[in-house]
Amino acid sequence: MNLAIDALIGLGLVILAWQTISGRSLFRGIVLFVVFGLTMALAWARMGAPDLALAEAAIGAGVTGALMLVAYRRLVQLHPEEPAQPNRRRSRLALPIAALAAGLVAVIGLGAVSAEREPGMAGLAVMSELADTGLGNPITGVLLKFRNLDTLLEVAVLLAAFLAARTVFADEEKSPTPPRGDLPLVGALLAIIIPLTILVAVHLLLAGSREPGGAFQAGAVLAACGVLLILSGRLQPATRMGLAVGLPLVLGLLVFSLVGLAALVMGAPLLALPGLWTVYLIETAMMISIALTLVLLFAGASGLRRGDS
Amino acid sequence: MNIVEWIAAGVLTLGAVFYLAGTVGLLRFPDVYSRLHALTKADNLGLLLVCVGLGLLAADWQVGALLGTIWLLGLLAATVSAHLIARHARHGHGQATTNSEES
Repeated sequence: MNLAIDALIGLGLVILAWQTISGRSLFRGIVLFVVFGLTMALAWARMGAPDLALAEAAIGAGVTGALMLVAYRRLVQLHPEEPAQPNRRRSRLALPIAALAAGLVAVIGLGAVSAEREPGMAGLAVMSELADTGLGNPITGVLLKFRNLDTLLEVAVLLAAFLAARTVFADEEKSPTPPRGDLPLVGALLAIIIPLTILVAVHLLLAGSREPGGAFQAGAVLAACGVLLILSGRLQPATRMGLAVGLPLVLGLLVFSLVGLAALVMGAPLLALPGLWTVYLIETAMMISIALTLVLLFAGASGLRRGDS
Repeated sequence: MNIVEWIAAGVLTLGAVFYLAGTVGLLRFPDVYSRLHALTKADNLGLLLVCVGLGLLAADWQVGALLGTIWLLGLLAATVSAHLIARHARHGHGQATTNSEES
């Protein structure tokens, strides 16, 4: 029974992936990509990786899907006369590349399945030292205690990606936002969904030290709030970035770097985080920065302002 | 299997039937409004039945409360999105009658 479910998910993933890239229309491809992300999250959950499942559902399916839909809308606005169609011409390299990728996946998969557990492996070392960190979730332990330079640079990469995107949408005409005020149900939906979403994000953040969760998942969930507010016109894209947007945007990088440098000043190694409270502090700052970066990418703007009315 | 598990299996199957009916309606009905009708009606009842079945299997009031919350949130999202799509179609955007993929 379990094997049948796994086989169904695996087969579904392959078919969805194929349909996503070989679809007749771009819009269909985007929708199928979101379905692919959700199915992938199911697969991660079945493989016992709930952290990855949460990240895949929130970032892979949710935020990336929203970004793709925004890009699609821009495409249609830019070229209303010609429908946005994918390039139908098949490259001669497609088949060899697909075969190579399949071979690579098969080799890595077989290698992972047949690998023996050795006493000196990094994963086992993490599990044995995890108790000293006070963190119950090994993922968060690796992200913030054992490989925290990687995490710091991930936050920096996200900021760099936003800065690169900013050069593209700096002088572009803003897409008109839908009128609001005459949609009573949307206001009611926001009044219920926004507090619940913030609750879920904070729960993911706090639970991240013991259970699946963490700053990236929480940030993506929080970003969904911002996307809803932009879609309903409560928040409008602005061309100028004020301090109220700029400071939270770099908060994660700032707090992480300062705490890491403070450790150096106190005589500890760089980025050695003292105590559990620094983990919570850094995770909170990272959540805010990640959420804001994703919302600004969705808005396609450098700043945000309150909607009219 | 005891009696509770049999009941849960029956309720879950009934929920799956509602999902199937809703999907068939979404694909086969002629226009936006009747498709929305099929989707939201069948989805809500299907979700309710699946949640009831899972709650019976879990036999835990905490899990039951979570499942109930999931159903209520599903209802809310389905209601508002159906309202928005119907409104969009009524105002003449998109094609209300053809089997268009982009509405």
